[in-house]
Amino acid sequence: MAAPGGPRPGNLPPGYMPNSLANNMQNLQINQPNQPQSNNPTGGVSRPPNTTPFGQQPPPFAGSRPGPPPHSAFVRGPVPPSPSGPPQTTLSPNVAPARPAGPPPGSQPPPPFVSRPLPPGSLPSSMGGATVSLASGSSPQLGPGPHHRPFVSSPPMSGPAAPHPLSNGPPGITMAQLQAGPRFPPVMGSTPRPPPIAAPQPATMLSSGSSSQRPQLRPNFGGRPASASLATTHPGPSSAPPQNMLPPPAPSPFSAPIQSVPPPSGSPYGMQTWMSQQQQVAPPPPVPGLQPPRMFGMPQTHPNQSLAPTSPSLFHTGAAGTAQSKVDPSHIPRPIPSSVVILHETRQGNQANPPPPATSDYIVKDTGNCSPRFMRCTINQIPCTVDLLSTSAMQLALLVQPLALPHPSEEPIQVVDFGESGPVRCSRCKGYINPFMKFIDQGRSFICNLCGFTDETPRDYHCNLGPDGRRRDADERPELCKGTVEFVASKEYMVRDPMPAVYFFLIDVSTNAIQTGATAAACSAINQVIADLPEGPRTAVGIATFDSNIHFYNLKRALQQPLMLIVPDIQDVYTPLESDVIVQLSECRQHLELLLESIPTMFQNNRIGDSAFGAAIKAAYLAMKSTGGKLLVFQSVLPSIGIGSLSAREAEGRSNISAGEKEANKLLQPADKTLKTMAMEFAEYQVCVDLFITTQTYVDIASISVIPRTTGGRVYYYYPFTALSDPAKLYNDLRWNVTRPQGFEAVMRVRCSQGIQVQDYSGNFCKRIPTDVDLPAIDCDKTIMVTLKHDDKLQEGSECAFQCALLYTTVYGQRRIRVSTLSLPCTTMLSNLFRSADLDTQFACILKQVTGEVPSTPLPQVTEQAKNLCINILHSYRKFCATATASGQLILPEALKLLPLYTLALLKSCGLRADGRIDDRSSWINYVSHLSTPLAIPLVYPRMIAIHNLDEKELDSSLIPETVPLSSEHITDEGIFLLENGEDCLICVGNSVNPDILHQLLGISSVEEIPSQFVLQQYDNPLSKKLNGIINEIRRQRCSYLRLKLCRKGDPSGTTFLSYMVEDKTPSGLSYVEFLIHVHQHIQRKMP
Amino acid sequence: MTEFLDLEFQDSVRMPWNVLPGTKSDAANCVIPISAIYTPLKPLPPTTPLLPYSPLRCRNCRSVINPFAIVDFSSVNKIWICSFCLQRNYFPPHYQSISDQNLPAELFPQYTTIEYETTATNEKAQVGSSNIFLFVVDTCVIEEELGFMKSALLQVLGMVPENCLIGLITFGTYIQVHELGFAQIPKVHVFKGSKEVTKDQVLEQMGFFAKRPRPTTGVIAGVRDGLSQESIARFLLPASNCEFVLNSILEELQKDPWPVPSDQRAARCTGTALSVAAHLLGVCVPGSGARILAFLGGPSTEGPGAIASKILSEPMRSHKDLDKDSAPHYHKAVKFYEELSKQLVHQGHVLDVFACALDQVGVAELKVAVEKTGGLVVLAESFGHSVFKESLRRVFQSGDHDLGLSSNGIFEISCSKDIKIQGVIGPCASLEKKGPLCSETVIGQGNTTAWKLCGLDKTTSLCLIFDIVKKESSDAIAQSANNQFYFQFLTYYQHGSGHMRLRATTLSRRWIAGPGSKEDLISGFDQEAAAAVMARQVSFKMENEAEFDPIRWLDKSLIHICSRFGEYQKDTPSSFTLSPRFSIFPQFMFNLRRSQFVQVFNNSPDETAYFRMILNRENVANSVVMIQPSMISYSFHSGPEPALLDVSSIAADRILLLDSYFTVVIFHGSTIAQWRKAGYHEQPEHQAFTQLLQAPRDDADAIIRERFPVPRLVICDQHGSQARFLLAKLNPSATYNSDIPAVPGGDILFTDDVSFEVFLDHLQRLAVQ
Repeated sequence: MAAPGGPRPGNLPPGYMPNSLANNMQNLQINQPNQPQSNNPTGGVSRPPNTTPFGQQPPPFAGSRPGPPPHSAFVRGPVPPSPSGPPQTTLSPNVAPARPAGPPPGSQPPPPFVSRPLPPGSLPSSMGGATVSLASGSSPQLGPGPHHRPFVSSPPMSGPAAPHPLSNGPPGITMAQLQAGPRFPPVMGSTPRPPPIAAPQPATMLSSGSSSQRPQLRPNFGGRPASASLATTHPGPSSAPPQNMLPPPAPSPFSAPIQSVPPPSGSPYGMQTWMSQQQQVAPPPPVPGLQPPRMFGMPQTHPNQSLAPTSPSLFHTGAAGTAQSKVDPSHIPRPIPSSVVILHETRQGNQANPPPPATSDYIVKDTGNCSPRFMRCTINQIPCTVDLLSTSAMQLALLVQPLALPHPSEEPIQVVDFGESGPVRCSRCKGYINPFMKFIDQGRSFICNLCGFTDETPRDYHCNLGPDGRRRDADERPELCKGTVEFVASKEYMVRDPMPAVYFFLIDVSTNAIQTGATAAACSAINQVIADLPEGPRTAVGIATFDSNIHFYNLKRALQQPLMLIVPDIQDVYTPLESDVIVQLSECRQHLELLLESIPTMFQNNRIGDSAFGAAIKAAYLAMKSTGGKLLVFQSVLPSIGIGSLSAREAEGRSNISAGEKEANKLLQPADKTLKTMAMEFAEYQVCVDLFITTQTYVDIASISVIPRTTGGRVYYYYPFTALSDPAKLYNDLRWNVTRPQGFEAVMRVRCSQGIQVQDYSGNFCKRIPTDVDLPAIDCDKTIMVTLKHDDKLQEGSECAFQCALLYTTVYGQRRIRVSTLSLPCTTMLSNLFRSADLDTQFACILKQVTGEVPSTPLPQVTEQAKNLCINILHSYRKFCATATASGQLILPEALKLLPLYTLALLKSCGLRADGRIDDRSSWINYVSHLSTPLAIPLVYPRMIAIHNLDEKELDSSLIPETVPLSSEHITDEGIFLLENGEDCLICVGNSVNPDILHQLLGISSVEEIPSQFVLQQYDNPLSKKLNGIINEIRRQRCSYLRLKLCRKGDPSGTTFLSYMVEDKTPSGLSYVEFLIHVHQHIQRKMP
Repeated sequence: MTEFLDLEFQDSVRMPWNVLPGTKSDAANCVIPISAIYTPLKPLPPTTPLLPYSPLRCRNCRSVINPFAIVDFSSVNKIWICSFCLQRNYFPPHYQSISDQNLPAELFPQYTTIEYETTATNEKAQVGSSNIFLFVVDTCVIEEELGFMKSALLQVLGMVPENCLIGLITFGTYIQVHELGFAQIPKVHVFKGSKEVTKDQVLEQMGFFAKRPRPTTGVIAGVRDGLSQESIARFLLPASNCEFVLNSILEELQKDPWPVPSDQRAARCTGTALSVAAHLLGVCVPGSGARILAFLGGPSTEGPGAIASKILSEPMRSHKDLDKDSAPHYHKAVKFYEELSKQLVHQGHVLDVFACALDQVGVAELKVAVEKTGGLVVLAESFGHSVFKESLRRVFQSGDHDLGLSSNGIFEISCSKDIKIQGVIGPCASLEKKGPLCSETVIGQGNTTAWKLCGLDKTTSLCLIFDIVKKESSDAIAQSANNQFYFQFLTYYQHGSGHMRLRATTLSRRWIAGPGSKEDLISGFDQEAAAAVMARQVSFKMENEAEFDPIRWLDKSLIHICSRFGEYQKDTPSSFTLSPRFSIFPQFMFNLRRSQFVQVFNNSPDETAYFRMILNRENVANSVVMIQPSMISYSFHSGPEPALLDVSSIAADRILLLDSYFTVVIFHGSTIAQWRKAGYHEQPEHQAFTQLLQAPRDDADAIIRERFPVPRLVICDQHGSQARFLLAKLNPSATYNSDIPAVPGGDILFTDDVSFEVFLDHLQRLAVQ
């Protein structure tokens, strides 16, 4: 769905491209000793020289990155001449045409490229220019234009081996290639053109391997990276070839996929976004045809992100040219989103297929492993020993999102009903039947892939085995061929009848809430949402308001208006009525509407400023206790009285901070245990609390968030709340909250094969026993991180399986067990680990872990820890997998080349900055705790696009223009930029923007008129329509309405905007380049 | 007899001894204490003026000037001498014009009881607060009962004077305080019934300080002290303003929704509800005349003041349990209601209880709160029963038969120095004003000379019990000097009109001492008053003295009094005669022994408490009816005539009308019943029969109209099951084992009780020993 990848080719300035290309490894050659670095950043000038040196060794950056060259090449391909000059500038022309055109031309060019496997991926679009580009590749960068040429020439010349090897320091490369190669292979290698291109490169790579192998490899990759990787190591795993074969044919596919994409996007968000998503099930009509192509596509995307395998050595700073060694900011690795929809088969050839990046747009075909949406592992191969894992310094963890929203084109999850007896399970570990259970003895028994126990096959489940050793009915039975199935739960999975869907709304009506319009906004949102609650005879709703008292409403009154029931005792609360406080929706719709309309006026003159939040939720909980359900709380002020009241400790905190940092993080911890105890109780009775905090002041989120966190809910934070712009978001958030796929009274457990066990779960849930997590509610957005640990050695060549079982009740009152199984190969090779590392998941995992530490650990330690996590991994790689490279080079594993960037972004993120408001930080920390993998990266490294030139661009597949690196140098005064991180969306208006554009987009005629509160409107002009289209598309992708805010350079809002420019140097933080150097220094220091 | 009634007519007082024994020992010999039954608000003779000024008071003892004061008109500065302390007081200047020809009303000899109305300046003639009614309604009842209750309440709402303030609390498992002053939607504050709510909580939690910050110090109460009228007006509204809201709330009123397991009683938190009501009034309108009208449909089982457990298999306490002290909730509940009564008395508010259930609701426990606040109590089987409906109507009715509800009364006694006050038995609470007049012996509300009557009405009667402390000494001399004892009863109260009034009754009674005083004492003996006093005394002792044997005590007293005042030759029973002044007294005692006040085991503790509460607030005439029912017979042979309360009065061709105060029975003899069933009374030629049937009905109606609580009317036929209401009250002169066969058409009683004749025989025998 996401279009992340898309823009890549076109968007980025040539410079960018290169990065992406630089695949396997990016070698930053940094000469620490020499300060050159410092000089360079800008040094367009410096480069040239570099380039020259290139010949011999790749000059610092430009040269260094193999990737770039190709890219640039590609990019330029299309517009060779022009690029040199204005590389960074829009490129729009290039881009737009490039891509669309890309494919077709690409197909042609491929041949040439073919030689090179990797670059292709990213390049595809750009391919047009391909050949040339290759050459130019070296120069990708801006200034160097001229230089490029030379290079260009050289590359081709060199054919496969020469150019790169030289530049990158072949040695390094080899390594890189090995690893990278495999992965990327999947990449684009598959795609038609790449092949040709690849060819040459492979050659380089191949130096290690035989040229003959290459072709094979690629094909493989197309299919599965893993195999590919293996291939590299071993001469030739041939398994994949056939698949690969397919790819080539489909150059056209791209166009197709593109088309396919739009449809999904189209429907979404008018105002009411989500509808579209609900139709998850929709079969992929267009897809089928596309599929094959997509397959290829997939690989392509890979390359983009991962960067071309070939060019492992990115940054050489010429060791020689120490002085010159500079890091070219435009060459350093940056994410390159791809707009192409990837078609992903979870297993191919009986092997796990590494998933596409979480942030990419992909369609999954479940061929044995569960979709990566449901569960993905930080490493797609499992280290056999704990030593291997610790050597790698990587995390081993699963990110589980059991109800993740599928792509509309994916097949629906099949529901299997085993009747009274319930699903077949291993009698020892209770693992559920899955495709990896091995049937033996003519099918009379089966071996559990989780615990290894041999179970008898239940008689009525017996089936003979075919010649291949599989059950003959394996393909007809979803539980034997799909990674994810849903079982109908039998009686034994119920302690009571499945609960009905119960929604209880609790609204703050204290003075503040009334006066800021928060109450009105909440009431109106609820009123609109009522229509969207799941239809069904059992759906029930309740409503209550609170200030210093709690007001319930009896909605079941035959004749008259609802009756307000006030619970005044806020120390020892109770529910005032047994039954009529929560009423079946069908019986009270009118009353409810009437009531919601009148609440704001009813409390119009309320002069009570206190809030008995704790008591109110307790009371609401008591009302819901018999059934459980969702408690949606709209709160505006600090809970000041009653149970669980809090003090405005932020103020004290500030003085503490100034006094000394010692206790500063205390403010991020809950003030006391009251709310936690309460939350545990809620969870026990299946009450899930979602908090909508519409405030203009400090509300101590750190304390109150304990409740949603423990009960499987979340905090929505609207600060500072404004009645003008926030109600729309509030409404949309609420609507999504109740309409998204979700379940109630859930229990989740993850089982692992012998040798691995679950160490811990983290996320929003309640844990009573170590093995399970209780989720009063679970929805498609909630992700749980499951950290794993070895308790034994794994067998090389075997597979390690993970099974996540979620027992839950649907909104329609059916009890289901959703079982997702993921089986991954085990390896003893460190290089395999690095090759199969999943960057998005790794980073999400680091993000969650680090964030989890923030409340309990002083900030400097946390940041240090975050940094070390990154450094240790890179160090491990450098030490064990890139031994051949010169010590002066910073060598990044291809798969993780963006790790430094993301780590830097993380360090600069809201939660890890000491200067933020406590509530902002708490809210951020909370948001992270349930954050899904695809949203993890955007959170710290938001997406920025230019919107002032929308009309100049022909948007292709995706609506979203190419992204701009998060560096203030890219923000021009003439531009309008939109930046979004999945929650917030900032639009920054430069001071010299064309007033006409400004007027068309925002309806204002000059920068001075920028309102402090902003409501996006659609005006009748193409620009505005496009902008709305873009924003709607983003909303759809993020499943979030986004909080829109206008910023203007030079005032505080502009400062906010700039604070997202993570690549910039800030008073407290390094610039990206500096950080890379910093990392490099640390690694070197560690090297013996 | 008539002279006593005349005295009562003038001064609203009946005393057993109208000539007082002059010394302590004489008094002790009289057995029946020196006492008075005083009805403070009994309507005065129409000729008595209402004095629109404040009374003159003795500057020493604060007693009010009265006709017994000696006034010296001769001196330049006119002087009056207080009859109690003999203090000489000057008249204030505006009395200068008085003379023996020109007396102020309060000095007229016939105005020994007179009323002053002080339009005191500080009383801003609390308009609107003339009365405040806070309804406290039990919703833990079956739908049918709820329906009855609703209709009764709705009817009543139409009758409430417009300027009365009204509030509503409903309760069941929880307590709902209805906010009537909130226009948009009906609003209710809900309190948990199982937990005691404090006044502070009420203040804090019901938003009294929402618009105005809470004063940091001092007592917070009412508009004068810290609360805004606005915040009070949310709960207590003039009837005219909230009628609509109230109607709609009552119409929508539903049975308590909390489920009740089949083996349990409903969770009903009467105690907490009443306490919340008291707090609410205390917060909003302290010191104003306000009544809590509690409508109870069952026993309290939740929270403080619970009288029974929720488990149905544990029966409700009976007299037996109380005797054995095995009622686990009783003492706790009583203690709770005692606290409540203290609070209500302090606030000057009244608790009225309408208990309508087949089961007991806890009147026995609530008694203390009702009685000390001077509340009304009505006990009926159902909210649909006329006893309840009519009684409730009477509360709000205006006109001839209104109850004359008044509030905030303070009652004070002064008397001559040789007399001390033991206490008061009746609906009042001690104000603990101790003084030299207080006797060491205490009965009822004692140890004080001032009492609070939060609620009082036209019939409220107090039984005042005195002690003679005068030692016999050189008596004869003193006797001649001054043989009068003086009593003065002062009652301040808020009249129904909202004005404060003071009624002063001053009595003088002659005393006599020494031998030869017997005749004088006899001449002053009021046997009805004596019976009433005895009844109150025995009830009080039964409730308050452990191991008290009422029969024995009554018998001993009776024997003692007979031997003291009877004429007889020692040891010759047949020679025994009693003066006419005493003649009926033994019969009163006989019936008292058999009455519900003494024979409690046929009744539930609730009923007994109910009977006694009524006894304790009624005047002598009504008390006598309770003790010894009156019976009238109707027949063709003669007009209505009083009949003997004896089984022999039953005849087939008679109609009997029995008035036992709580029950009025119309009893058709068997022949009459047959005629009636045959429908003769519908035939024009039998008009006489129609009239015969109608006569007792009319008389019964007359009784019912005037009485509060409205008595239960039972119409029954001889040999019918309902006839038991009559038979139980009759003297068993003919029983199943008596020798004389029953008169034809008469009846016999199936009882082993002794008949009056036997009783009298024994009495004579014992009295002459």
